[in-house]
Amino acid sequence: MTFTIPIDNGDAVKNAEADSQRTLYPYVTGTSIVAIKYKDGVLMASDMGGSYGSTLRYKNIERMKAIGKHSLLGASGEISDFQEILRYLDELVLNDNMWDDGNSLGPKEVHNYLTRVMYNRRNKFNPLWNTLVLGGVKNGETYLGMVSMIGVSFEDNHVATGFGNHLARPILRDEWHADLSFEDGVKLLEKCMRVLLYRDRSAINKLQIAKITEEGVTVSQPYSLKTFWEFKAFHNPTAGAEGSW
Amino acid sequence: MFRNQYDTDVTTWSPTGRLFQVEYAMEAVKQGSAAVGLRSRSHVVLASVNKAQSELSSHQRKIFKVDDHIGVAIAGLTADGRVLSRYMRSESINHSFTYESPLPVGRLVVRLADKAQVCTQRSWKRPYGVGLLVGGLDESGAHLYYNCPSGNYFEYEAFAIGSRSQAAKTYLERRFESFKESSREDLIKDAILAIRETLQGETLKSSLCTVSVLGVDEPFHFLDQESIQKVIDTFEKVAEEEEDGGEAQAEADAPVEQGGAGDQDVAPMEM
Repeated sequence: MTFTIPIDNGDAVKNAEADSQRTLYPYVTGTSIVAIKYKDGVLMASDMGGSYGSTLRYKNIERMKAIGKHSLLGASGEISDFQEILRYLDELVLNDNMWDDGNSLGPKEVHNYLTRVMYNRRNKFNPLWNTLVLGGVKNGETYLGMVSMIGVSFEDNHVATGFGNHLARPILRDEWHADLSFEDGVKLLEKCMRVLLYRDRSAINKLQIAKITEEGVTVSQPYSLKTFWEFKAFHNPTAGAEGSW
Repeated sequence: MFRNQYDTDVTTWSPTGRLFQVEYAMEAVKQGSAAVGLRSRSHVVLASVNKAQSELSSHQRKIFKVDDHIGVAIAGLTADGRVLSRYMRSESINHSFTYESPLPVGRLVVRLADKAQVCTQRSWKRPYGVGLLVGGLDESGAHLYYNCPSGNYFEYEAFAIGSRSQAAKTYLERRFESFKESSREDLIKDAILAIRETLQGETLKSSLCTVSVLGVDEPFHFLDQESIQKVIDTFEKVAEEEEDGGEAQAEADAPVEQGGAGDQDVAPMEM
């Protein structure tokens, strides 16, 4: 995919340089993020894989990070752009802390700031190639929202990015309910992540679950899900397809 | 304060460490008509005296809404006040747009103060000739600040600025300890009473003052003339009974005025 904007200032060299600075396609990407609101806050799950095209090149990438005191950010898509976003947010949180006045940025503010950033970059044809999930708790209010690389932004009780939209959200629509306990929330997320593991080829079996409550953020140690490959359908998967091997 | 050789521009210090141009700017605030502000834990009331240039003209607007949760009352050069109000509205709405969240008033006040400071340190500028009483909300509740032309700002429980504000300040000093826990209605009443002090005997009518309220669950708005008159009616009658004791005390309290002999010294651009 190429996005070229015709600029005719007569300077081919400068234009070429400027063009090479814009994001044209992603290189190292993370796959789905799945997140749900539960009784005490938000639970978010992601695997630790960074794909380089179809190669699963990096297997220790943390795609969820705490932002300030009240927010948790998860990202899928280009990893270097996620790191850039973390730098923006670092500066934002730093300036907020420097005021030292008892006011602090909550998840709603961070989500809206990110929406502005993503949308503005999209307008300049130089997107940050990510879909971001922002969850948090402030003053007892739980918040969960999402921003895409083109600046589409919304809040919901459960969100997912990438393949998660297609595989995880139907499960969540059926089984999510308000005031899930921590254990039930984790079980639900693991159910979604297991389906993604079976069906998303860029997923790896090494995931983390992060939780954010009024007290703060905890990101779990990486762990693996139990999988079962002895289903009859997996034994001879191409049995019905003529011409396959 | 008299003319001296160090007062020509704002970038000249006096040997005693004063910037006279800044101090002269603060004098301009004292010439304007009075404005008072009070706050409780959850509400801020701003009130001002309606001064008209002449009988033919309408009165100057001295209280401005900056946002649903911030209001400002000014005294001094109203043109400067109008420009600064526009700046405050702009800052507030830009913050709301980016963060979908109200700008904490404490942060707005610092930006305003920094803007005023710039004018005290440039040879091609002059200080703003207006004092601002900024009332607003942030996460910790209701706050009242006073921004002065020097670039300083202070937080107050209650304050009054402009001509004859000393009388209002005296009244407020007597009662400020109760404001924190005051009800909204009592706060409004105290504001109007403070305004009355600045009128020095002139009968208080609702047409003479403007009152505005904002609170934790109440967006900034002005009180209409009827509501103000109702509040005035509750104490004007009591005041008539107390006339002998009360009035004598009020006159003893109001010292010789800073800021001129009254109306005839007010320059046309100051209100």
